Amino acid sequence: MIELSSAFFSINHLSDALMSLTILSVLMSLGSNRLMALVKIMAFQGIVVSLTPLFLEHHESMNFSSIILLLIMLFIKGMLIPGFMYAAVKKIKIRREVEPIIGYHASLFAGLLFILLGAFIANRLHISLPVENDLLLITAITTLSAGLFLLMSRRKAITQVIGYLMMENGIYLIGTALAKETHTMYVVEFGVLLDLLVGIMIMGIVLHNINSSYNDVDTALLGQLKDN
Amino acid sequence: MLELTTIIPFFAGIIAIFMPVRVGRGILVLTALLHLQLTVMGWLGKITPAFPEYFAVTDEGMLILLVTSFVFLFISIYAVSYMSETEISSEPIYTGCTLFFLSTMTMVTMADHIIMLWIAIEATTLMSAPLIFLHRSKTALEATWKYVMICSVGIALALLGCFFVVMSMDLGGIHVPITFSSLGTVADKLDPVWLKAGFIFLVIGYGTKMGLAPMHTWLPDAHSEAPSPASALLSGALLNCAFLGVYRCHQLLYQAGLGDFSSNILVGFGLFSMLIAAIFIFHQTGYKRMLAYSSIENMGIIAFGIGIGGLATYGAMLHLIHHSLIKSSLFLSSGNVLLGYGSKLVNKTGNMAKLFPKTFTAFFAGFAGISGFPPFGIFISELLIIMGAFQQGRSVVVSIFIFALILVFAGASRLVTKMCFAPCENPEILVKENWARTLPSFALLAASLILCIWLPDSIYETIISAIATIGGSVNG
Repeated sequence: MIELSSAFFSINHLSDALMSLTILSVLMSLGSNRLMALVKIMAFQGIVVSLTPLFLEHHESMNFSSIILLLIMLFIKGMLIPGFMYAAVKKIKIRREVEPIIGYHASLFAGLLFILLGAFIANRLHISLPVENDLLLITAITTLSAGLFLLMSRRKAITQVIGYLMMENGIYLIGTALAKETHTMYVVEFGVLLDLLVGIMIMGIVLHNINSSYNDVDTALLGQLKDN
Repeated sequence: MLELTTIIPFFAGIIAIFMPVRVGRGILVLTALLHLQLTVMGWLGKITPAFPEYFAVTDEGMLILLVTSFVFLFISIYAVSYMSETEISSEPIYTGCTLFFLSTMTMVTMADHIIMLWIAIEATTLMSAPLIFLHRSKTALEATWKYVMICSVGIALALLGCFFVVMSMDLGGIHVPITFSSLGTVADKLDPVWLKAGFIFLVIGYGTKMGLAPMHTWLPDAHSEAPSPASALLSGALLNCAFLGVYRCHQLLYQAGLGDFSSNILVGFGLFSMLIAAIFIFHQTGYKRMLAYSSIENMGIIAFGIGIGGLATYGAMLHLIHHSLIKSSLFLSSGNVLLGYGSKLVNKTGNMAKLFPKTFTAFFAGFAGISGFPPFGIFISELLIIMGAFQQGRSVVVSIFIFALILVFAGASRLVTKMCFAPCENPEILVKENWARTLPSFALLAASLILCIWLPDSIYETIISAIATIGGSVNG
């Protein structure tokens, strides 16, 4: 009995540690000014996020197929997509700065506000939720909203993709937080299809014709179509 | 095996990509014919879905499938002639992607599983993005980027909405397949809070695709940058499919007894879209952008009608049919204008009545139709929506509705009269009009006209049983 509860504790601690790492990566990505660093942070975040289901209590009885799915998620989120982005940044020789519309300090501050927002919402929803892990929902909401924020507040096309990726990680976490029954599990895994969109976007950036119509992949240049 | 309507265009698309241009055009038209044939067979109940756990025949789905298939046939006939006149580097890509696009849209109309619907709507984004980028210009790139980016965010939020709906199932302790049809039977046991949250996210997600303001920003760019047949397809078919997503969710909420909540949201989004369109249509300089804003307005009208309920839902369904017919006809005509003058700006056009008499007739008639003049169907549908709203005693919202309609008409008529009658500065015609590129527009308009005068019983009954699921009927 004692052994069981200590194992219980350690798993809970581990998932808490993972959540803290995720929040840390969110804050780092908001404050980082180098594109390469941002890609690396996203790779790290992808790995941490896709490992999370392993360390949640209500996922302990994972069967073989869900382990396989988890490995696939880990591969896509942690290696494939970041690898793509790495290649894109290398290939198109864009300037290495992130070029924010909203400055780094303000972004960081916004990130802290998102944590507060996440805590507030998680508190509100607490009554009707099956999860025992408080941090999970807070982290999920923070990641989701920080991703949306990053998407809107950075000028480069590739940073928008990174913002989108972060938002998607947030959605995956929310899905994991809500997943209790078996049929939810497989709904969450469909989120991997969003990675397909991310892949397409990165391909669009890398593809030759984007490079030749622009010197720089900057969405500020994507500003010709507008209403007069 | 109703799934053939999805599978056949998909494989035809793969073949078309690897075939020479002329063969590809043949495949396009042939597939369109075959698709219509299968759709009609589906209507008659001759073929049914082979995978009932994912696909189902629903009244609203079949209605939208029929409209899509019909519009697609005429657009593909038009595209054959249009593509031979315009300079496009990779026509096989166009042919292939249009067919893929048809395949994914068909999948949307039949999807019953919540996730299947979501996948299908995501796939429409992926398959239509190459169509927008076909001209490979800077502006086309920008339009495509915006389209993919904004719709992807929308689709991600819709997935979150799906999670919430599944969550409401868990909390309600229900174990049924996650399909709309089986959820509908146990809707009252679903957890209302999470269902509402799910609805909000789903409406924002699919509403982005449908062009509801304020998530509409991709729509004018994409519609104006895509080649005209693709714009016609986006406006006449894709927006309906996205609407179907919203409709299904509204249906679920209605069955769960939360109809008031979702109706009010739809009315709000609808009115806001109409007002935004009315404001922005005033200062447009491009005629394709003008048509795009008109699409936003019309999607707003449909959302409004569905939200009002009662008689207005019948009007909204009619509006959906007629908007598809008339708007795709207008986009096809605008393709002729673009070929003729070589510019998307209203100022570079003029005196269409003299220079392009056939296109002028189609364009002007289409404009009259979309503005709600008889003898076209939008007259009836808008009238029914207004009457329905008065029956429900919603006099404030209906006055905003009428006000927005008038504004849109004023803004659009300014541009249309300039295009049709104002003197043209350099009356140099690049590409002459021909019957191959005007007859499809006329045919679509004629279809709207005929449906306005004589609505076949089977379509009438389908609409009635479709709106019955959200509490609508012709008796108010």
